[in-house]
Amino acid sequence: MIEIENIHKIFNEKSSEPFEALKSITLHIAKNEAIILSGVSGSGKSTLLSLIASLDKPSSGKIVVDGELISKLPDLHASHYRAKSIGFIFQHFNLLEALSVEENIIAPLIPSRLDIITIKKQAQESMQRAGIAHKASQTIRELSGGEKQRCAIARALVTDPKLIICDEPTANLDKANSLKFIEILSTLKALGKTIIVATHDPIFDTLPFESRLIKMEDGRIVDE
Amino acid sequence: MHNNAFFHFLSLLLFKQKNKHIGAIFISVIIIFLLSSVLFISSSLQKSLQATLQNQPDFTISRLQAGRAVDTPTEWIEKIVQIDGVSAVTPRVYGRYFFAPNENSFLIVGVDFFDEQSNRSLQELMETTDLKSFFAMPSMLVGEGVQKFMSAHYYSDSFSFKLPNGSFKKVAIAQQLPSSTNLIANDMIVMPLELAKEIFAMEEESITDIALNVPNDAEWDTIVGKLHLLFYDAQVIDKREISKAYKSLYNYKGGLFLILYLITIITFMLILYQRYSMVYSAEKKEIGILRAIGWSIQDILKLKFYETLVIVISSFILGVVLAYIFVFIFDAPLLQEIFLGGENLANSVVFVPTIEFGILGSLFLFFALPFFASVLIPVWKIAVTPPKEAML
Repeated sequence: MIEIENIHKIFNEKSSEPFEALKSITLHIAKNEAIILSGVSGSGKSTLLSLIASLDKPSSGKIVVDGELISKLPDLHASHYRAKSIGFIFQHFNLLEALSVEENIIAPLIPSRLDIITIKKQAQESMQRAGIAHKASQTIRELSGGEKQRCAIARALVTDPKLIICDEPTANLDKANSLKFIEILSTLKALGKTIIVATHDPIFDTLPFESRLIKMEDGRIVDE
Repeated sequence: MHNNAFFHFLSLLLFKQKNKHIGAIFISVIIIFLLSSVLFISSSLQKSLQATLQNQPDFTISRLQAGRAVDTPTEWIEKIVQIDGVSAVTPRVYGRYFFAPNENSFLIVGVDFFDEQSNRSLQELMETTDLKSFFAMPSMLVGEGVQKFMSAHYYSDSFSFKLPNGSFKKVAIAQQLPSSTNLIANDMIVMPLELAKEIFAMEEESITDIALNVPNDAEWDTIVGKLHLLFYDAQVIDKREISKAYKSLYNYKGGLFLILYLITIITFMLILYQRYSMVYSAEKKEIGILRAIGWSIQDILKLKFYETLVIVISSFILGVVLAYIFVFIFDAPLLQEIFLGGENLANSVVFVPTIEFGILGSLFLFFALPFFASVLIPVWKIAVTPPKEAML
């Protein structure tokens, strides 16, 4: 499903102090596989996720997802790819604080040309799957950390993406909520989704589903 | 993307983030309100002025010697009447009468009421005046400003003019000149020619100027030429010059406001630009989030375009409507004084509703274009940065 070949990512490339965040990364991820990227902060996990999600572009190398070269996509296609294929769960949730749970969840579907009734129906299903439907009308400011996480999950699932990408998903959660999150991941895996999680939370060391652990250090994959 | 879901989401963002927009709308409404008020006043005054000047004599001719105004001989009238194309030749006496205690002054205009055909508004007024009592005793017609001033000084029925010889002349107030003439007749007193001469202690055969009409506009310049040929020391003023003088006065005042508007709008747009381009602004994060969940640059620009359009149109309509009410219903208190000046006698003009849609359209463009630019340029700059950076 995902083929990453010899990826490099250099920040401040043209400055006097360029920083190479990813060094020659090559990785193949199969459909319905669960990948746990582990490593300390600054090891390059989040950068790799951003490149897979087309939130940023690699300095060199290529990323192919389902036969499509996403590392070179122009903006319009990259946006379409993100909207259709990627469900991204961010460490800090990145929700629109002024809006309600439901309003946040419908946001990814707005550019899709679907009518508002269909969109709301999809949002309702997604909220139920993430266990946040009972808070649909509450604004993000009124939610606890765990509820925000579930809202972020519902938003990631609303477009029914093939690939779920999670960046430090349990960093702001207590143990109970972290375990609930893992349960949700397990369900998603059972639904055939491909999952990539970047974390250094030891709770991911023992998962109730099959996964592949990849260790990163200083921008390289050191153990697979 | 122009479906109901898009507009639903747009309305959500506008409503839920209304506090973010209230400041911009409030300042926009004030700017539009002030400038529209000035434009409405300026247009209305110019319209009223044209209407007032319609009723004024086409020309006034007076004598100038070495640049100094002197009395005009009455025998000039005989010669002017002989010119083909000239009608309603009327002698006039005018001058400022100073009311010393308050340093105010009235413009006394003495006309021959039996011969007065040039001033159509005066003719209409005389039709409603009791001429028998008007001529039974010394009487006058006064402008609204004069009427109010005299009433405030307990001269409600008559006023005693102090003559140059030290005696007093009591003159009855017969009627007030119509309010519609306030623009030029607010401080005016119209009285019989002989009475005016008595107040100014003028010679029997002297007048200050002669009013005349030339019905055929095309002949105006020819007549002016003939008058100058007849009287080498004559000063001829035509209605167009008065109109131009008033227009340039109002345009000058309007121009000052326009400069103030430009300064204000540039400052406001810079603030808006700064707000949208702030490195860690909420706007930036919002755009970053929307980009990360699949919105394209185009989608973001459309959202912000419509968001700005709603703000711009609502502010503009609100500002213009408030200005209309302020000027044409409440007669623009404060601003009226700036335009008309109240240093002599307080003037109150009823503004005739006049809307120049061309000017309003231009105002909209001058307001909307910089507004859109101040929002959309920084939004575009944020939208093209990688979403990951924008979300920071």
